[in-house]
Amino acid sequence: MKRPHLEIENLRVAYNSCRVLDGIGLHIEEGERWAIIGKNGTGKSTLIKTIAALLRPVSGSVRICGRPVLSLRARERARYIAYVPQKPEAVIPYTVHDFVMLGRYSTMGPFGIPGETDRNKVAQALDFCDVRDLCNRMMTTLSGGELQRVMLAGALAQDTPILLLDEPTTFLDPAHERLFFRSLESAHEKRELTIVMVTHDINTALASCTHVLALLNGRVQYAGSAYDFKELCPDVLVTLYGIEFGCYFSESKLTRVYGTWVND
Amino acid sequence: MKKKSYTIKILVLALLAGVVVVLCPFFGIRYLSCTDIAAREDIRYIFFLIRIPRTLAAFIAGGGLAVAGMVYQALFRNPLASSYTLGVSGGASLGAALCIALGAGGSVLGFSAISAGSFVGAVGAVLLVYVFAWSRESNATTLLLAGVIVGTVCSGLIMFVHYVSPLRHSFQIMRWIMGGVDGMSYPFLAVVAVPVFIYLGITVSIIPRLDQFLTGDSLAHSRGVNVHKSRNLFIVITAMAVGAIVSVCGPIGFVGIMAPHTCRLILHGVRHRVLALASFLAGGIFLTVSDTLARTITPPSEIPVGIITALFGGPFFLSILFRRKGRLQW
Repeated sequence: MKRPHLEIENLRVAYNSCRVLDGIGLHIEEGERWAIIGKNGTGKSTLIKTIAALLRPVSGSVRICGRPVLSLRARERARYIAYVPQKPEAVIPYTVHDFVMLGRYSTMGPFGIPGETDRNKVAQALDFCDVRDLCNRMMTTLSGGELQRVMLAGALAQDTPILLLDEPTTFLDPAHERLFFRSLESAHEKRELTIVMVTHDINTALASCTHVLALLNGRVQYAGSAYDFKELCPDVLVTLYGIEFGCYFSESKLTRVYGTWVND
Repeated sequence: MKKKSYTIKILVLALLAGVVVVLCPFFGIRYLSCTDIAAREDIRYIFFLIRIPRTLAAFIAGGGLAVAGMVYQALFRNPLASSYTLGVSGGASLGAALCIALGAGGSVLGFSAISAGSFVGAVGAVLLVYVFAWSRESNATTLLLAGVIVGTVCSGLIMFVHYVSPLRHSFQIMRWIMGGVDGMSYPFLAVVAVPVFIYLGITVSIIPRLDQFLTGDSLAHSRGVNVHKSRNLFIVITAMAVGAIVSVCGPIGFVGIMAPHTCRLILHGVRHRVLALASFLAGGIFLTVSDTLARTITPPSEIPVGIITALFGGPFFLSILFRRKGRLQW
């Protein structure tokens, strides 16, 4: 058996006294792609942030290749894990190229002068995400869809084995969402990335991920392969979200699609 | 930004800085010509032992304040932050005001008690901000607010000291708060230059962190920056450098806001290592020219340089701001 890449054990996280995650355990192996799904407020983003060491758990641990994330120095951690937020926290006043180059921070020297490897990794990341044409554009002039692909490129430039994504396509239209996932897939094929992604899009999660973690009220409702999860659908979705789900079968694509009704 | 286009702008700025530093010592209450300097002992004395250290001190102090402002703006992702935002100016002024009011003459290690008092005040104010605002949960906004409040309390105390002091002291306090680089000598120049150059050295070696700070705390964290430690380090070394400048020159305002923003507007989108160089040069030029104006426009007296920086710098900055306002994006 392969050694688990990411081990999460009995994780409890609280904001002040409000408990958000209540005893999460999960083993993620190299190359797996996990989708974390669940209602708003069940602790999906909290879990991602705790894995990224942005939050400190009350108890329990997150280990990467056997080492607790909190014991890693910042630069060391950045060589294992990259993170793509829902959207940038700040207005970023750099060109696309310079922003993606910022992803190389953890391996660059003190003055931040990029070397040959840095330039190659940046070029590769720009190609994966199909944003090479945007290279000299300012970040502030990008559309939402372009911006998210550039954010992904920045994380890929970091060249880490693990990639965490926190609802990366929430603000994107279906076409740009498709482009985003295509970029992610091309990177995954080339690099054997381990991906953990929070998403609200059940169908994309089932189509592009190998595993599903379903959270309900800070606890694990389901953790396992996406294939087995499909067998439980749509009933498990009703439990997770508390509303009715329907299932549609597309004959041309030979796949099932889940959805909700607007009226009732 | 493309490398070529900013290289030219930086070169122009460097050239301008050179011209300013070479020409400014000739101007003052009296214009000193080369023939005078060559011919007369007393004028040579004024030129080499007063005008030159003063010009250099103004340049280095201006440059240091500009870089400090740039650092604070990036750390707090706030265009209004400056080297004085964390109460540095208020603390320094209070320290100086207390020394003046208590009649503390004399000197400490060759420097006046007032200088020492203002340095202690400047660094003390920042430490005070830390005592109240520092914790793992504290963020940029908490620190910024705490700094503004410490500054306000200091101003209140200064007004109190001002009010209860005799007229002579009161005037001296007022004059000190306006700032100035007058009465410079080489030892004073060293007090400014040595800390500023040490500060610049450390800052340049860790300057990629500022680029990361500007993208937001969580992204910076995920890229491998220890956000808390780095922010603390930057704040402490910047406070020390600004404290050293202020202890000699008084709280000269506006340079730390104006110079970095002018450079940001002109060198749109550059990383901080380029911006730091440009800000240093621009701040140096700005304060040197302001000081030269301060000692030439109302002969035979001088006016405090703080008046010039505000009166001439303000409209200049506004004109750039309005021509390029589309570029100011944060």
